Amino acid sequence: MRTIPRRLLTALALTPLLAGCFAAGEDGSGTGEGAGDSGRLRVALAVPPVQALSPYSNDATVLSKLSVAEGLTALDKDGAAKPALAKSWTQKNATTWVFELRKATFQDGTDVTAASVVNALDHANKAETKPRVLSDVTLTAKADDADTVTITTKTADPVLPLRLASPALGILAEKAYAADGAVSPVGTGSGPFEITKLTGKTKATLDRYDGYWGGKAKAPGIDVSWISDGTARANALRSGDVDIAEWIPTAQAKLLDADTRHEVPSVRTDSLILNTGSGIFTDASLRATAREAVDGSVLVDSVFGGYADPAQGLFGPAVSWAADQRVAVTGRAKAASAAQVKSGTKGKTLRLATYTNRSELPEAATVLQQQLEKAGFTVKQDVREYTQMEADLLAGKYDALIFSRVTLLDTGDAVAYLASDFTSSGVYNIAGLKDTKVDQAIKAAAEEGDTAKRQQKIMQAEAGILRTDAVVPLVHEQAVQGIAADVEGVLLDPRERSLIDIDTHLK
Amino acid sequence: MSLGHSRAADRPFSWRSAAGRITAGAALLTAVAFLPWLSGTDPALTVLRARSADQDPTPAQLTAVREQLGLDEGPFAHLAQWLGGLVRGNAGASWVSGEPVLPQVTTALAVSVTLMLGALAVTAVVAALVCARTLYFGSRRQLRQKRVGVGAAVLAALPKFLLASVLATVCGVWLGWYPSQGWEGPQSMVLPALALGVPSGAMIGGLLDQSLPAAFHEPWARTWRAHGLAPGRIARTALRRALSGVLPQLLPTVVALVGGAVAVEKIFNIPGLGRLSLDAAIAQDLPPLQTATLALILLGVGAGLLIQAARRALLGPALRDGALPVLHPPALPRSRSLPWAMGFCALALLTLVVAGLLRDPLHVDTAARLLPPSAAHPLGTDSLGRDLLARLGHGALRTVGIALAVTAVSALVGLVIGAATQLGAGLTEVVSTLPAVLAGLLTTAVTGPSVLGAACAVCLVAWTPYAAQTAALLEQERASGHMLASLSFGAGPAYLLRHHLLPAVLPAMVRNALLRLPTTVLVLASLGFLGLGEQPPTPEWGRLLSENQPYAELAPWTVLGPATALVLLSVLAISGTATGRGPRRRRTAEAAPA
Repeated sequence: MRTIPRRLLTALALTPLLAGCFAAGEDGSGTGEGAGDSGRLRVALAVPPVQALSPYSNDATVLSKLSVAEGLTALDKDGAAKPALAKSWTQKNATTWVFELRKATFQDGTDVTAASVVNALDHANKAETKPRVLSDVTLTAKADDADTVTITTKTADPVLPLRLASPALGILAEKAYAADGAVSPVGTGSGPFEITKLTGKTKATLDRYDGYWGGKAKAPGIDVSWISDGTARANALRSGDVDIAEWIPTAQAKLLDADTRHEVPSVRTDSLILNTGSGIFTDASLRATAREAVDGSVLVDSVFGGYADPAQGLFGPAVSWAADQRVAVTGRAKAASAAQVKSGTKGKTLRLATYTNRSELPEAATVLQQQLEKAGFTVKQDVREYTQMEADLLAGKYDALIFSRVTLLDTGDAVAYLASDFTSSGVYNIAGLKDTKVDQAIKAAAEEGDTAKRQQKIMQAEAGILRTDAVVPLVHEQAVQGIAADVEGVLLDPRERSLIDIDTHLK
Repeated sequence: MSLGHSRAADRPFSWRSAAGRITAGAALLTAVAFLPWLSGTDPALTVLRARSADQDPTPAQLTAVREQLGLDEGPFAHLAQWLGGLVRGNAGASWVSGEPVLPQVTTALAVSVTLMLGALAVTAVVAALVCARTLYFGSRRQLRQKRVGVGAAVLAALPKFLLASVLATVCGVWLGWYPSQGWEGPQSMVLPALALGVPSGAMIGGLLDQSLPAAFHEPWARTWRAHGLAPGRIARTALRRALSGVLPQLLPTVVALVGGAVAVEKIFNIPGLGRLSLDAAIAQDLPPLQTATLALILLGVGAGLLIQAARRALLGPALRDGALPVLHPPALPRSRSLPWAMGFCALALLTLVVAGLLRDPLHVDTAARLLPPSAAHPLGTDSLGRDLLARLGHGALRTVGIALAVTAVSALVGLVIGAATQLGAGLTEVVSTLPAVLAGLLTTAVTGPSVLGAACAVCLVAWTPYAAQTAALLEQERASGHMLASLSFGAGPAYLLRHHLLPAVLPAMVRNALLRLPTTVLVLASLGFLGLGEQPPTPEWGRLLSENQPYAELAPWTVLGPATALVLLSVLAISGTATGRGPRRRRTAEAAPA
C-alpha cells in the first residue's frame, strides 16, 4: 500500500514523455534537421488559415504570398496590372474584355485552359459569401477557344484587370472545387510552389513545382508555420527556427539584428474616424477642433517605434502616385475654442473606441486621449476585441474610433475603400458621412477609365473627404519583415500580397 | 446541504453525485449553446469576420451566412442537431471553416493534456521542493518554528505569462537550450511546462507545507519516532495524511490548464485546446466551442473521479470507518524573521502607494518613452512615457480591493457549494476546467462590458478551488471521532457548523485564497479584451503587466515593478495570516480533544 504514491509519482512523471502527442512532428521537417542545408525556406506567417486555405477567405493572400496560385493578371510594383496566366488582354468595349491565356499547367498535371478559367471564375461568383473583390461587380466569363476568354461585366468596370489580380480570383485546377462549395488549393495551383500538405492551422509543406511556365524556382520548397503571436514570431527568427518571419510587432523590431529587419511602407493608414451621424461630432466645428488637437506625428517615434510615416492624407507613401497628385484641402470648418468645446459638448463625454487586435492602437488611443483632453473634451475610452465591438461601431455608438485600414483593398484600386467607407450608402461608413459632394467625387473617380485621370479624381475625392473632418489621418504604418541574413530575393510588398517567388532562396 | 455526518459520502458513485455531474454539465452546455443568441453580437457578423477580415458586412452577405448556417432555426434546433450527431460520433462542422470539428478538438485536446501532464510533473517536483524542509525536520521531530512559506508565496505570485515570456527569451532565444516556440517534440514541452508548473507547484506545495506540521503533531508520529522507526517512513505517512486534503486542488490548479493556458499557448505557439476554444468563442463558432466545452467537462469529471479514488487509496479505511482524527497544527512559536519580512513588505507597499499617489499616473510624455529607473522616475517609464511608480500607486487600491472582494465572494460560494457534498462535487468538477474567458463571454451577454461584469465572470469560475478544499476537509472532519461525540450529545447543525466544520475549513481556505490572490488579479485583467473590467488608461496592476509584456525584453523594468508589487502583496498577505493566527491557534489546539 505505501508504495503506491511512489509508483504514482513515477507514472505521472513518465506519462508526458510516453504520451508524445505532438502536432506536427510526423515528417520531421522541424527545427533539428538543419533545413538550411537542403535550401528549403522556413517561413513564419502571422494569420493562421481559417478555411483550409480557401481562396474565398482570409487565406487567399497566403496563396499569392507563397506563389502557389495565380490569377489572370498580377500587380506590378506601381500597382498596375501585368500579365500572369493571361499573356495579354484587350478591351473590346466598356463592358467586354478579351484575355489571351499563356501555355501553362496546373500542379496536378492538367492544362490551364479557357474552360478552367471560366470554371474558376464561375465558382468565385457562386461562392457563399461572395469574395469582397466581386461585391461591387457582376462578371460573366466565356471561353471563346482553348486559350481565349471573354469577360463581360454588367456595368462598365475600368479596373477589371486589377480586380482579376486579386488572390481571391486565383485560377485553380478543376479538382480543387468540391461539390459542397469547399475549395482546396492543395496541389491544384499553377504557381512555382505546390502545397503538398496542410497540417491543421499550424503547418504547411510546399514543394517546388517543376512544370511552372516561368521556369524552376530557386528554392526546392517552403516549410510554413503559422505563429499568431508577434513576439513568438520574432523569437522564432532570432533563435533560427525560421528564415523569414512576417509582421514583426514594433515593440519587438528593435530586438532584431539590423540586417534582418526590413521595413516596408504599408498601404495601411491609421486614422481617427469621427462620427458625423450622431453624438457630439455632428458639430463640424468640434470636428475641426479635434482635427487640430490631434497630432499623429508624435505617434511615429513613440507608439510605432519609428516604423510609420506621419500622415500625408488618406493615402501614404505606399501608394506611389498619391504624393505628386495631392490636392490641397480647402473650405474646412473653423475650430472651436476650448470654451466653445465646453459649451458645445454640453458636458457630454467623448466616447473614444479602438480595438486590441493591433497592439499599437490602444497605446495610440491613450496618447490621443491626452491631446483631446487638452482641447477641452472629456474622453472615455472603450477598448475591446474587434469582433466584440464591430456591430456597435457600424451602428454609430461611438463618437470617435481609431481605425487601422487597408487603403488599397483587394482590387488594388483606391476607389473601393473610399466608396465603402465614405459614401452615404457605403457599408463600412463608420463615420456616418452623408455628404453629396463627397458622394459625387467618389462616383466620378469610380467611373473614370483612364488611369492618370482616375488617380487625379481619387485625390480630389480625398481632399473632399478630408474637408468634412470625418476622418483625421494619423500615420501610415510600415510593416517590419524579419528576414535572416542568408536569404535573398524576398519581396517586400506594400500590399502584403507577395513574399516569396521563384527567385527567393538561401545563399 | 448536509452538514451532519453522512454515510452517503462513502459511496463515490452514488446516484446523487452522478446527477450533480450530469445536471451541471448539461446546464453548462446549454448556456454555451445559447451564447450566439444571447451575446447581442450577430453570429453571422462574427463568423463572416473570422472568415475574411476585410469582407464588407452587407445585408446580403450576412443573410447568406445566416442561411448557410441555419441561424434562424434558433439554439434548440442546433443543440438537438449537435447532440444527435454526437451520438453517431460526428460533432458537426465548424461554422467558420466548414471542416469537421471532432478531429480538430481531439488533436488540440491531446496536445493540451500532454502539456498539462508535463506541468503536473513540474508541479510535483516544485511542491516537493517547497515542503522538503518541513518533511525533513518534521519526521525527525525537530520542527521548532512555524513555517511562513514566503518562498512558496513568491513563486505562486509569479504571473505565468511573464514567466513564459522570460523563459522563451532566456532559455529559447539567448541560450538556445530549448525551442522558443512550436510543438515539435518532447523538448518543445520543457519551457511551457515550467512556466505553467512552477507557480502551480508553489501553490500546491504551499498548502501542503502548511498542513504537514499538523500531521507530524499527531500522536502516532511521536509513538513511531519513540519506537525508532525511520524518519523516511514517518515522512511518507505524514505526507499521505496531508496530501489527501490538498490533492483536490490539482483539479482547479493543474487540470484546468488544459483549457485555461491560453496566454502560455500563445507565447509558445502551442496548438492547444485553450486557443481553439478562445478562437471559437470570439467567432461565435458554436460546434467547436460546444465540443471543446464537452471535452473539458468530461476531463474535469474524469480527473475528479481519479482524484477522489486517489484520496480514498491514501486515507483508506480510516475515512470509511469514521476513525480519522482531525489535523490540528502544533502551537509552534513564530519565526523571528517573520515580523521583519512582514514589516518590510508592508513598508515597501506603503511607500509605493504613497509615493505613487503623489504623482500623475495618466500623463503621457512620448519623449520620455521606456526610460530606465532614475531619480525623476524611480521605477522607470512605460512605452508611453508614463511614470510606472505613479501607475502602480494609483492602481494599488483598486486592484487589491477588487481582487479581495472577488476572492471573498468566491471563497464564500466555494464554502457553500463545497459543503453540499453530493451535488457540489459534480458542479465543482464541471466548472473547474471552464476557462475564465468563456465565463467572461457568458457574463458579457448578461451584464454588458463593465467592471462588475469582470468580477462576476471571475467569481463564476474562481470558487472551484475553495469548494474542492471545503469538500475534502469536511469529508475528513465528518469522519472524525469527536464529531460523532458531539452528535451523540445532541449537537444541532448550527453548533456543528460553528464548532467543528468552520474551524476545520477556514484556516486552510484563507491561506489558499491568499495564495491565489495574485492569480485573481491577473485573471481579472485577462478579460480586458472583452471590454470587461476597468477601461484604459486607468492604472490597474494586471493591466500594467499585460500592457507592458511586449516590452519585457527591451525594458525589463516595465514588468519588474508590477510583478514585484504582486509578490510583495502575496508575501504580506501570507505572513499576515501567519502572525494573526498564532495565539488563537494555540487555544484551539489546547482545547481540542486528542
